[in-house]
Amino acid sequence: MRRRRVDPAAGARAGALPEAIAALSRSLPSGPSPEIFRRAKFDRPEATSALWQLLFRVLSPFPAGNALASIALEVQARLVKSALCSQGYPRLALAQLPEDGSKGSRELLLALSWLLARGPVPEQMLAQTRVPLGDEMTVCQCEALASLGPPAPHLEAEGPVDVRHVQWLMGKLRFRWRQLVSSQQEQCALLSKIHLYTRGCHSDQNLGHLSVTEAEMLRDPEGGQKLLRTLEHESRRLEAVLAWRRAEPVFWQWMARGCGRGPEWSAARRASRETVEKELGALQRCWEQDSGPAPAHGPHRLVRREDGAAGDRDLRAAELIRTLRSQEACLEAVLRQLQGQCRQELAGLAGALPGLIWIPPPGR
Amino acid sequence: MLPADCSRRLVAELQGALDACAHRQLQLEQSLRVCRRLLQAWEPTGTWAWEPPPEPETNEEDPLPACTPSPQDLKELEFLTQALEKAVRVRRGITKAGERNKAPSLKPRSIVTSPGTTASTPPQSPGQAGGHASDRRPTKGLRQTTVPAKGRPERRLPSVRDRTRAGIGARAPRPGAGLRNQHMAPSAAPQAPEAFTLKEKGHLLRLPAAFRKAASQNSSLWAQLSSMQTSDSMDAAAAKTQFLRNIQTASGGSQPRLSAAEVEAEARRLRKACSLLRLRVREELSAAPMDWMQEYRCLLTLEGLQAMVGQCLQRLQELRAAVAERPPLPCPVGRPPRASPSCGGGAEPTWSPQLLVYSSTQELQTLAALKLRVAVLDQQIHLEKVLLEEEMGVQQRSAALRRT
Repeated sequence: MRRRRVDPAAGARAGALPEAIAALSRSLPSGPSPEIFRRAKFDRPEATSALWQLLFRVLSPFPAGNALASIALEVQARLVKSALCSQGYPRLALAQLPEDGSKGSRELLLALSWLLARGPVPEQMLAQTRVPLGDEMTVCQCEALASLGPPAPHLEAEGPVDVRHVQWLMGKLRFRWRQLVSSQQEQCALLSKIHLYTRGCHSDQNLGHLSVTEAEMLRDPEGGQKLLRTLEHESRRLEAVLAWRRAEPVFWQWMARGCGRGPEWSAARRASRETVEKELGALQRCWEQDSGPAPAHGPHRLVRREDGAAGDRDLRAAELIRTLRSQEACLEAVLRQLQGQCRQELAGLAGALPGLIWIPPPGR
Repeated sequence: MLPADCSRRLVAELQGALDACAHRQLQLEQSLRVCRRLLQAWEPTGTWAWEPPPEPETNEEDPLPACTPSPQDLKELEFLTQALEKAVRVRRGITKAGERNKAPSLKPRSIVTSPGTTASTPPQSPGQAGGHASDRRPTKGLRQTTVPAKGRPERRLPSVRDRTRAGIGARAPRPGAGLRNQHMAPSAAPQAPEAFTLKEKGHLLRLPAAFRKAASQNSSLWAQLSSMQTSDSMDAAAAKTQFLRNIQTASGGSQPRLSAAEVEAEARRLRKACSLLRLRVREELSAAPMDWMQEYRCLLTLEGLQAMVGQCLQRLQELRAAVAERPPLPCPVGRPPRASPSCGGGAEPTWSPQLLVYSSTQELQTLAALKLRVAVLDQQIHLEKVLLEEEMGVQQRSAALRRT
């Protein structure tokens, strides 16, 4: 009991808080200096634009590039507001902030903390720019043929559209599907060969063979040097994230002080309160975190093994194939049903609009 | 002809699907270019690819990124060298007892690059060494005496000796050129770079030590991150929850527009919350506190649970209202990259990629084909849904028109 009471005061220990903030700043891509954070806590205006930019980096769905840096601050601010709104950020004050970076640093710091509290932001950002050393395949379908954004209304489709145009597009789409299939088959064959020919080369015996990235590095030493540098840079960021995680509690105590705490409690009662809060927090996390059936998400590194032996945490292609086949069967049933429904509707329409002639696409 | 607005949407969706396919096709073609190039002939340039046998006198060349030979390795190499020389002599039927003493001056490069020549050949002209026709026979013989490393699917990291053997075995059948190894003397005559193909020599490649070190450090850091995730500090977790609650209660923000998937996910979450909360409340109510501290804890817990139940109910009502007032957005063809809450988050994201093991080309192809098929089916289904919606819209409108 005694010890826990002392802990909240630990944040006041000189060095712990700046350390934590420094670790946070190092763990974020182009994170602002710790000084900016401190100024933002006091709502100093000079800290505002740095925080807009940081929030923009965090919330932008696309990996960082030079293109992002050249976007005007006003635009960044507007995108940040919209992204936060769609994530459900509850504070209205943010939406009312001026977009020229003249004030609002404290509100922005709150927003950043809100994001940090809700998810592992530094890790996610690092994962976005991770250097894939292996040949990877995602096992979930989330990005399989992901559309590149909401479908933009086609500018040409101004008046009524000839149904033949629609059919032509449909045919074009079918052709592209076929193209994808054959290209992908070829890619798999080549990948498999490269894996086969380089067996026994890898220093990690678990992997056994080289990946395309690794072989490419041997073929092109300049590219290899670049890869090495990127890898080392990533390792530095990883160390920073780990340091941040260890120092985190201090940061939250600092933020909590800013939000105002409850009335003074006696030591014992405070301890009780903290314990209960922790337990209930853990309980809430049980349903707050998106637990689906735990199908693995994210990319997996392809490894070729003649015997197909796999460790506990590894996936086997054969199992995945089974899952996909049942998924395929399911989807085919859904598609057939929808197509049937469409045909019915069309039949109804044809009756209702005598001028309409619909030539259905050839059956698949 | 379809009515304008209906077809516009359909066209837009089709165009979106076409763009997605084009994007994926581009990615595939990029990857194909790289793979094809790797399977053709190329040269692994010296310092990177080959970890040559450990050399005691390497000073005049570029420093190796790794590989300081141990005395044991050197000894092994010496033995091997002598054995090879003996084999050569036996093959040729010529005794060169005298030169034998000169030869194994522990200049492995001379051995490596001119296995067929007698020891009298100065080690300074490695490239030319193998170029003589007379060497072909002995080198072939050499190849036979050494264990052919080629055919062996080595899984273990080969020892130094194996590597040396492999290195020699590799060079032997191509007496025309030594490897363009930077550890040859700089005065070497220009050598024809050996045509290297992955098929024949791929298994001899070695990743450079600097890279191996960096990669292993990197993966260990990712692993540390994963393990830290699972044992999240309770202090930090509690503080975060408190902070979020403070922010939430300090404002009654407007609700963002939800997509159908999000509504489903939220409903699932709330259902789970309900059962967990019910369980916990029952636990607390059935507990028998022994002293005032425990009773106080119990009271606090129940109050907290009540607050959480209230929050969940409120959230449920908000969801209902939001869905009624603004119908949820239809599901897009694919989710925007990385913005999907259910992917890339997950219950326990493991940050270092796990392995996906396959056993044959056909298996890999089947897997990839199925993945693509499921994605295509997704697209098709989405388009059918759009078409259906639009058709129903048309029907409703025409019915309305007929009524007036």
